[in-house]
Amino acid sequence: MRRDPVPAAIALLALLLLAGALVLPDWLRFLLLLAFAKGLAVLGVVTLMRGGLVSFGQGLYFGLGGYAAGMTGHFTGFSDVFGLLLLGIAVSVAVALVLGLVMARYREIFFAMLSLAFSMVFYGVLVRSEVLGSTDGSNLPQPTFLGYAPEAATGRVLLYLLTVLVVAVAAFLVHRWYRSLWGHLAEAARENEVRVEYLGASVFRVHYADYLLAAATAGAGGVLTAVAVGHVDPTLTYWTTSGEFVFVALVGGTGSVFAPFAGAVLLELVRTFAFAWLPYSWQMILGAVMLLVILFLPGGLWSLVAGREART
Amino acid sequence: MNAVLEVRGVSKSFGGVVAAADLDVTVERGEIVGIIGANGAGKTTLMRAICGLLLAARGRVVLDGRDVTRLPAHRRARLGVGYMPEDRRLVPQLPVRDNILLPLWARGVADAEARLAEVLRFVPDIEPFLARPALRLSGGQQKLVALARALAAGERVLLLDEPFEGVAPALARRLAEILESLGHAGQRTILVSGSDYTHTAGLVDRLYAIERGRVEPAAPTGAG
Repeated sequence: MRRDPVPAAIALLALLLLAGALVLPDWLRFLLLLAFAKGLAVLGVVTLMRGGLVSFGQGLYFGLGGYAAGMTGHFTGFSDVFGLLLLGIAVSVAVALVLGLVMARYREIFFAMLSLAFSMVFYGVLVRSEVLGSTDGSNLPQPTFLGYAPEAATGRVLLYLLTVLVVAVAAFLVHRWYRSLWGHLAEAARENEVRVEYLGASVFRVHYADYLLAAATAGAGGVLTAVAVGHVDPTLTYWTTSGEFVFVALVGGTGSVFAPFAGAVLLELVRTFAFAWLPYSWQMILGAVMLLVILFLPGGLWSLVAGREART
Repeated sequence: MNAVLEVRGVSKSFGGVVAAADLDVTVERGEIVGIIGANGAGKTTLMRAICGLLLAARGRVVLDGRDVTRLPAHRRARLGVGYMPEDRRLVPQLPVRDNILLPLWARGVADAEARLAEVLRFVPDIEPFLARPALRLSGGQQKLVALARALAAGERVLLLDEPFEGVAPALARRLAEILESLGHAGQRTILVSGSDYTHTAGLVDRLYAIERGRVEPAAPTGAG
């Protein structure tokens, strides 16, 4: 029986990225950190897509994670990244436990629009709430790591290392999930829900479980983004943020847990360089990249790797 | 009387077209029962009503004395109802082995491997390609895998919706042989539907004829 190469590949890539902290310039490390944090949210979008659901509102959980960290830091001064990470995931999952009861009953465009609606309701609450900072948002204190309060530069390196570890653990766990009974059932449900029912599994539970998982990863991504940037504002949960997650999911592909992160890194690189070269029309370059991927790689960037695997 | 499956007065209409009218069907333990009827007579409606894939407007479905009429499909499946639809509906990217094990995993069956081994005793034909993804099988091979999957899942009752429809004569004979061997083993309770008597009549202990949603006991020869 062929051994699963993915866990070893995750470990190897994580080691390379951890070692990269020593040599990467500050700007690239920061760019990778933001891309990986965003990739966590995209990982959730991809998880839902494997079950046949497209969420245009994953910014809700990205924003919940970010605001859980931001408001805790703002009001209490609590700054431990590990604690904030757990809190952000817990808040996102708690909300998903309730909303998922409704969401898991909807499919196709209805699921997409309802997810968008919930995220925009949260956006509206944030914008209108002075306590939560309204459109200005609020700042987070300098992050600490289990009681250790490093200088700003060291803190940025530590946060990058922590992000790589979180991403590696999340990618491993989600990969295991895809290969578990639940992962198989989600794929079966995407193609034919009736089949899943008469096999003895509840389609509702399959989608509900995926929804919770997607909320957890998006929440983690939101916390890491908020801590890295040192600021939260309502754009974390705005529809363009959610749309960007779907954009990255399509660019990266849904074939592997690596794909969302590869797509997110590509997006951040293209955005950064496009903005530097064409500050007034950088969106045009992003659009062109999207067009090229859809035309020539309809399965996303990952289809390049998957195609090679299939040929060997 | 030791009925495993009782369908009592099940009725269902689709936009004014009666698909099932007061259906009464009983299947005893270890019995193979056939439902014969033309296309559109209501065979699939009956099967789907038993599985819980559609809700009957009236009537009851009783499984081993328990009224399951209000249970959703996945809960009925967990009670040991194995269903093989007319189209095979395997999970294409999964290996054959996992396709068969999937309903057992979904139900939390502890001895899934033992159940697989037992299924392979009746359907040894699929053993050579257990590791192959279902999408790489021929239509006939997929039919055998679908039967094996239903067999693995249906320890209480097996519902086979037109298994002989649209298959090559050699495969139809092989399917009939497998069902016969199951009948001889006396371990399975089977309800099998078909549009003619060719393969079904020689196989079953009892037969129902279904026409325009109404069912009546029939002679296994088809002579009436």
